[in-house]
Amino acid sequence: MKESLLDILCCPLDKHDLELENAEYDGDEVVGGELVCTECGEAYPIEDGIPNLLPPDMRDETPA
Amino acid sequence: MGLEDRRDQEPDVYQPAEDSQLLADTATERLTGDELVLEVGTGSGYVAGRIADETAARVIASDLNPHAVRQARAENVETVRADLVAPFRDGVFDAVAFNPPYLPTDPENEWDDWMEHALSGGEDGRAVIDPFLETVGRVLAPDGVVYLLVSSLTGVDAVVERAGEEGFSAVAVADESFPFETLTVLELHR
Repeated sequence: MKESLLDILCCPLDKHDLELENAEYDGDEVVGGELVCTECGEAYPIEDGIPNLLPPDMRDETPA
Repeated sequence: MGLEDRRDQEPDVYQPAEDSQLLADTATERLTGDELVLEVGTGSGYVAGRIADETAARVIASDLNPHAVRQARAENVETVRADLVAPFRDGVFDAVAFNPPYLPTDPENEWDDWMEHALSGGEDGRAVIDPFLETVGRVLAPDGVVYLLVSSLTGVDAVVERAGEEGFSAVAVADESFPFETLTVLELHR
């Protein structure tokens, strides 16, 4: 993901801002790390460059 | 796409069909500037990719399905794994495009894999469309529009009525008939 995506994203639970932590970069691209809610502290992983902003209870790989 | 890529293609991701094409044609025709666009339920990334290639808009693509977001990102589309519009800020998007799962499905016959999630709209075909209509208004800019693909199998009137309850007026901006269904793209305004 591009860092500028942070201006568009928010916490899916309480809609507060997210902060990028433990970022790993490949050029301009953020390929790892996590997005942490400044309000509730929930951390959302960046997996293969794709932020996973599903609420924690929906994060599993299984479809149901 | 070469044969080698096709061989590796995800079997768990809805691949572009007539509905994707109609939505992409309509959105690329109607977006005229450097809009910020969200495509919900991007699947393969086809619609988002065409908008990115054929317009000056910046496109963000989201999907619930981890296989879909990986395929869309491989098409060079900015992707987010998300439930509808939940992780996007208030009022940011000039346009939101969505080709939802819309097939009415008997609950006895649900088959429970990622492809079902991409196709099935529950008993009335609107199990995903209704929550989308309830939440999309929050992320739209004041003059923002929604491009929503609807099939006659789901019932265009029912969707227009539901959109009205959420404060949207709907105009059909494209349609195409097939032997078993007519596809319509609704443009929703507030």
